[in-house]
Amino acid sequence: MIEFQNVYKIYESGSHALRDVNLHIDDGEFAFIVGASGAGKSTFLKLIMREELPTSGEVTVNNFRLSRLKRKQVPYFRRTMGIVFQDFRLIDTMTVYENVAFSMRVVGKTKREINRRVHHVLQLLDLQGKSNRYPPSLSGGEQQRVGLARALVNNPSLIIADEPTGNVDPQMSHDIVDMLSRINEKGTTVLMVTHQHELVHQFHHRVITLEGGRIVSDTGRPLHTEQVSLDATADVTAGGVRV
Amino acid sequence: MKSHVVRYLIREGCRNTWQNRLMALASVGVLICCLLLTGFSYLVFVNIDHMFQNAYEQNVMAVYLHTDQTDEQVTAIGESLQAMDNVASVTFLSKEDFLAQYGEALADNTMESFQGEENPLPDTYIVALKDLALFQNTLNAIENMSGVEEVSYDANTAQTLTRVRRMVLGVGGAIIVVLLAVSLFIIVNTIKLTVYSRRLEIYIMKSVGATDGFVRFPFVVEGVLLGFTAGGLGYGLIFALYYSLQQNFVFENPLLSLVPFSAEWLPLLVGFLLGGVLVGVCGSVISMSKYLKQEGGIRP
Ligand SMILES: Nc1ncnc2c1ncn2[C@@H]1O[C@H](COP(=O)(O)OP(=O)(O)O)[C@@H](O)[C@H]1O
Ligand SMILES: [Mg+2]
Repeated sequence: MIEFQNVYKIYESGSHALRDVNLHIDDGEFAFIVGASGAGKSTFLKLIMREELPTSGEVTVNNFRLSRLKRKQVPYFRRTMGIVFQDFRLIDTMTVYENVAFSMRVVGKTKREINRRVHHVLQLLDLQGKSNRYPPSLSGGEQQRVGLARALVNNPSLIIADEPTGNVDPQMSHDIVDMLSRINEKGTTVLMVTHQHELVHQFHHRVITLEGGRIVSDTGRPLHTEQVSLDATADVTAGGVRV
Repeated sequence: MKSHVVRYLIREGCRNTWQNRLMALASVGVLICCLLLTGFSYLVFVNIDHMFQNAYEQNVMAVYLHTDQTDEQVTAIGESLQAMDNVASVTFLSKEDFLAQYGEALADNTMESFQGEENPLPDTYIVALKDLALFQNTLNAIENMSGVEEVSYDANTAQTLTRVRRMVLGVGGAIIVVLLAVSLFIIVNTIKLTVYSRRLEIYIMKSVGATDGFVRFPFVVEGVLLGFTAGGLGYGLIFALYYSLQQNFVFENPLLSLVPFSAEWLPLLVGFLLGGVLVGVCGSVISMSKYLKQEGGIRP
């Protein structure tokens, strides 16, 4: 559950990134956040992952009131979410395998647990042949799938993606959102920032539009989504895919 | 932290050091220079101190006893002088020997009238001290011993030597502290260059939920590696340099001879390794902590 109450964010530079944002996102929802460049989309996500604190108002994520969170608790809070970036943010000096395994090492998992889980997730994202490659030798689409694998590997209850398809070709973009939708159908909450309207129209998800730091429209949770998701869950289970 | 996590982080620290080997090399070079400077200041200090010690050993005090002391009492005083912590050596000069040594200056008849029971000279102990700095304490203690009439010493020499030695100690200590601080400053700035290129990695680690300790650990390992390497190499260098110095400067006057390296090998080895590791770890951790605190706004 994500809740924004009268949230304002004014950066030290003076730019008003968010103005009076009020919002409620339930567990298991999939929401697109759209809006022009500078509308405040990234700031919105940064408040959720507690990379920034609001200037005023309260953000609550998974029952954590973020303004009350101590610095020491932040890492443990971050482990409940997976984050995907537009520029992938992979560590260039680590192999694909290590980049994904890294999230699990942080949590203190053993070598065997890591080995099993990382190979499973890499396979899921069709990256099994690339595990010993280094990120700079991969295409944008492949790098973003590695980023997605890293976000998924710890089974987070929330996935946050800031323009994950911004540096990826249209077909791969569609595949990535499709992948995120399937993960969402297993119960994971997904928030995805994008400015690619065609992409948004291909899926039936909630769409929140920001403009000048304000929410100017919110479709709410599409009613038929739950029906679709039930069918899809059956599909996924039948196909033996477990995320 | 679990042991497999620690093993992983140690490996990461080594990998990072290798990844940034050029900068590691630069840091080690800088650290070696600083350690050599510090080590040489230490050796200069040790040598100056050694000279003072030599000079002091020639500086003795004469302890005159009461003339009414029995032979047993005289022997007892000698033993308790010998037992004092700060006393290096005690030499007994009986009143007969005293007379024999100094009586030549007297007229013959005077000399004769002083023989035996008539000898007015006191039994005397010649006492050499170990530590000049404790001169005043030892002097007071001896003066308060029963049976001691008077203590004679060259007050000026002793006090001047003590004062100069204190000054050398203070200046030497200050120079060493300043040099270590300068090393730390240079190391921080050298390592900062590599940490700057690793700020994105630090950001990524934090975004997947790494604790500060987890992110810092490999940097500590890197600091230990750099410090240990610099300490070891620096120690080898200072040994070689000091040894050749000693071979090339042999002085006639034993007062001016250099202290042998073997007398100082342990404090130097410990100092070099400990100093290197301390500066390496502090430098590494200080230079990355800025990025550890930074939450947002990191752009590749
Ligand atoms: N770290 C920052 N410091 C100062 N101003 C910022 C910072 N991040 C974003 N902004 C400003 O806040 C506004 C919203 O930015 P952002 O949230 O990145 O928008 P979007 O992701 O929709 O393009 C912009 O005017 C931007 O310049
Ligand atoms: Mg943005």
